[in-house]
Amino acid sequence: MPGRQLIMSFPVTTTSHTLAEYRKRGGYGALEKALKEMKPSDVTKEVSAAGVQGRGGAAFPMGRKWQVVVPDDGQTHYLIANADEGEPGTFKDRWILENAPHLLLESMLIACYALNVRNCFVYIRGEFDLPYRRLSAAVEEAYEAGYFGEGILDTDLACDIVVYRGAGAYVAGEASGLLASLEGKKSYPRNRPPRLTVRGLYQQPTVVNNVETLSNIAWIINNGAEAFKAVGTPKSPGTRLFSVSGHINRPGVYEVELGYPWMKFLNEDCGGVLDGRDLKCVVPGGVSSHVLTGAEIASLNLSHEALWDAGSTLGSGGTIVIAEGTCMVSLLQVILRFYHHESCGQCTPCRHGTGWMHRIIDRIVAGQGRPEDIDTLYYISKFNDGTTICGLGDAAGYACVGILNKFRDEFEYYIEHKRSRLNGNLECLKSS
Amino acid sequence: MPEIFINGQAIEADAGQTVLQVALANGHFIPYFCWHPQLSVAGNCRVCLVEVEGRGIDIACNMPVTDGMKVFTDSEDVKSHRKAILQFITLNHPVDCGICDKAGECTLQDYHYTYNGEPSLSSDEKVRTTKFYNLSNRILLDNERCILCLRCTRFTHEISKSMALGVERRGDVANIRPVENKPLSEDPYSDNIIDICPVGALLSRQFLHKSRVWYLEPTPSVCPGCSRGCSINIWHRKPEWFLKALDPKQNTSIERITPLENPAVNGPWICNKGRDLARIFERARADEAMSRGQPVGPSAAIDEARRLIGAARRPVALISNWGSNEELDAFKTHLGEVFHAFVKRDWQRQEGEPVEDDLLIRADKNPNTTKARELFGDTEAALGEGTDLVLIWGEGFDFSQLPPRARVIFLNSYLAPENGHADVFIPISVQTERSGHYTNSDGVVSAFERCFAKKESVFDAAVLFKALAAPARGHP
Amino acid sequence: MKQLIPEFENMRKRFPAGFESSLVLPCLRRIQQERGFVADSDIAELTAYLGVPRIQIEEVLSFYTQLRRKPIGRWHLQMCHNVSCSMRGAEPLLAHVQKRLGIRPGETTPDGRFTLSTAECLGSCGTAPMMMVNETYHENLTREAIDALLEGLE
Repeated sequence: MPGRQLIMSFPVTTTSHTLAEYRKRGGYGALEKALKEMKPSDVTKEVSAAGVQGRGGAAFPMGRKWQVVVPDDGQTHYLIANADEGEPGTFKDRWILENAPHLLLESMLIACYALNVRNCFVYIRGEFDLPYRRLSAAVEEAYEAGYFGEGILDTDLACDIVVYRGAGAYVAGEASGLLASLEGKKSYPRNRPPRLTVRGLYQQPTVVNNVETLSNIAWIINNGAEAFKAVGTPKSPGTRLFSVSGHINRPGVYEVELGYPWMKFLNEDCGGVLDGRDLKCVVPGGVSSHVLTGAEIASLNLSHEALWDAGSTLGSGGTIVIAEGTCMVSLLQVILRFYHHESCGQCTPCRHGTGWMHRIIDRIVAGQGRPEDIDTLYYISKFNDGTTICGLGDAAGYACVGILNKFRDEFEYYIEHKRSRLNGNLECLKSS
Repeated sequence: MPEIFINGQAIEADAGQTVLQVALANGHFIPYFCWHPQLSVAGNCRVCLVEVEGRGIDIACNMPVTDGMKVFTDSEDVKSHRKAILQFITLNHPVDCGICDKAGECTLQDYHYTYNGEPSLSSDEKVRTTKFYNLSNRILLDNERCILCLRCTRFTHEISKSMALGVERRGDVANIRPVENKPLSEDPYSDNIIDICPVGALLSRQFLHKSRVWYLEPTPSVCPGCSRGCSINIWHRKPEWFLKALDPKQNTSIERITPLENPAVNGPWICNKGRDLARIFERARADEAMSRGQPVGPSAAIDEARRLIGAARRPVALISNWGSNEELDAFKTHLGEVFHAFVKRDWQRQEGEPVEDDLLIRADKNPNTTKARELFGDTEAALGEGTDLVLIWGEGFDFSQLPPRARVIFLNSYLAPENGHADVFIPISVQTERSGHYTNSDGVVSAFERCFAKKESVFDAAVLFKALAAPARGHP
Repeated sequence: MKQLIPEFENMRKRFPAGFESSLVLPCLRRIQQERGFVADSDIAELTAYLGVPRIQIEEVLSFYTQLRRKPIGRWHLQMCHNVSCSMRGAEPLLAHVQKRLGIRPGETTPDGRFTLSTAECLGSCGTAPMMMVNETYHENLTREAIDALLEGLE
């Protein structure tokens, strides 16, 4: 066990996602406590004090986001759980939706109470069929048990929820792109200001939080902010769900207490690199985070501050393990193809930049790279950094620069020799 | 009142303004493609990037002013970013200025030379897409030149409300497309997107490849298409660029018509009818005075007209509501006592023409009914008992309504069969051949200026009325 | 589309008042579920039913990967070829499927049985390589598993 487990704290069975099983585990006790013993402002205070950072990618503290919304300002407020999990390497929100949907629902109800939200939504990516059915079934159970609707738990709280399915667009995972999609339009993100907590869904104050971020609320209310801060590190309280994939013996979703040593996690909890190969590098938090070499992570622990210091980020927690022998040029090609496919096309740098980067890497991989291509990739990345409407453009640049910085020699070799030094290999092939 | 600093200059701004608005109003130019004062902020072109001390680089069109902020519009960082944005915009742009009508008035050309000036950093093939998309029978769309600033789609959503345009697909294969069930030509304001397109992606079909814009000059005028009286620019060849070898008519034709921004009347827009005024002004012209269909000299015609006026017991005048303020005043002054004058409606609404809307179009399809009625009242014309002379000024009168024994003086600019039926026919000038004013239905007076010289044999109505007021030769 | 209106009415009731525009995506998904794609007539009817600008529906149909305006094969094989799947053998499996079915990504078998597409990350990296067949995830794929799967799909 990589530290204390707050969310994945029960064995997964064929029924562990049901309301009955959830209640047996103490489910909806936090809601009861919040509604009966706390004021909405108490809930917000507790959540803020706990210092939960966003677990979708940006690590923005949930409490700070909530504080922009004034519960009794007379406006209609909305809460949306972002379940559009699309960051390559990430599949942990899916775990919650499939195995602990009531944890999310209970947490959302508590959040609605705190923020004075009458109607909340879960925006779930269109491809997540099983998670959608599990969540929808949980919603029906919750309504039947009186946790949604009017007079919840015999209080004044009224709350309705709609599970809204996306239709296939990574950019709909960006909070304002999500809103555009939820409004029934193409998923074009918005410029800020105004912040979504000021003008969001249909121009009303809206809080968009990641599924995992929200799912911490029940535990915080049950155990208190201080107890939450006692888990993890001072700068990274709590735990995070890591999605581990790639060249690893035991891929899957793991809940890790923040501060846990990285190598211990990979080698012990995750079974080590596939086929006993050496570790080349790791994508720590989804492809939008900078890769870190095996040497760089050797002494790191899994926390926000450790990764920020190392020049990367925990991002979405999508950890992709890459073994020695993997061609980083071919890997970057897969990544840049992805960003090009997903760019919404609204703003100049990303619309043209993602296509340009893709065409360059395609050419390099086809043996037609030119010496200036590396500089051009840096140029495109630099001028997508901070110049775009949303983070997709920046992310494409970070992914590119991260790999170029650490593995420039592979690119120079490929361009000079018109072929990969590692046979374009992406798989972890058995050593002969 | 927040005070901000732009390039070191302290400026009092209004709370609620953006940095772009304040900068433009105070002489600090910041380039922009997608921003337009009449449209919502899109913030997608990213060329209006500025540097804010302590905050870094961000777009100015969506940046609220805050007290004490220090903005730099031309720092080295801003310059390098702008250059890069222009590199991105021109990455897949065909740069076919040589065959593009927009050359010479193209924002992309202008910004390229001012802010970039370097060749593309890309050595890859440009992304190709549709070049001659039939957006409507009036507008050609070239998707390769399009920079997806979305001014055109925002115009159809926010101003004309036809909801006619949108974006299909995403990324660098996205294209502007019209809605599939209604032609864009049903939007009577569609052609405004040609003006606001910053590049040569949206082109006027009627102007297509007719002339390079630097050979043309605009003359301010007023659209006579309805009583809104929108301000327009009539474009025609500059005198120094008159063509010598070809048909001289080409030197005096209306090449195109665009809006002339007028906050009091039409803002920056006009309707499509205003673009088609050549159809009105360039109809075959009458240039010879006639007497009962026979050509006569101008003085002979005037003389006969004077005689008819002198002899008439009940002369009735049907006043043109296309007459300018000056012409109407002249009639009042010189002939107002002589004639029973009624205002005629020169033009009716044509089949299929919009009646009236909330934007610009007015039901009265004439430019100067207001002034005409002010001077001559709004009674219906009475060609009753005893009318023995009818002076018809301008178009729109049904000659079958003439009293059987009345004599007719007809003043018209255009060739028409009725010209030959008049006892005296005198050709008169059109709006483009003189300067003057119209008063629109809100009472706003707007000026139009002369674009072309009139023929010698054609009269200015104001001069003509004075001449007609003098007694006939041989009469006291 | 008319027969779906009672369902749409129920959907509408779940949303707050004034959320007609939001119904575009769920209605299109339901229409596509019935017909296999969204027809031009569906667009006209949905425009009238929801009262949204028609151009909004046209844009949505062309923007999102999962929505289509043309029919495809009975079984839509969407093979992920993103990072983790590529690292666990997606490309050779894709090549195998192409060879076995005789079609490339974007194409449909002549008998109308299979349409093949590549897909970006489907959130199943821990069980890579994988693909989505219509609505169902098939994970931890091998050549044998794919062969057995395809044989079982009529």
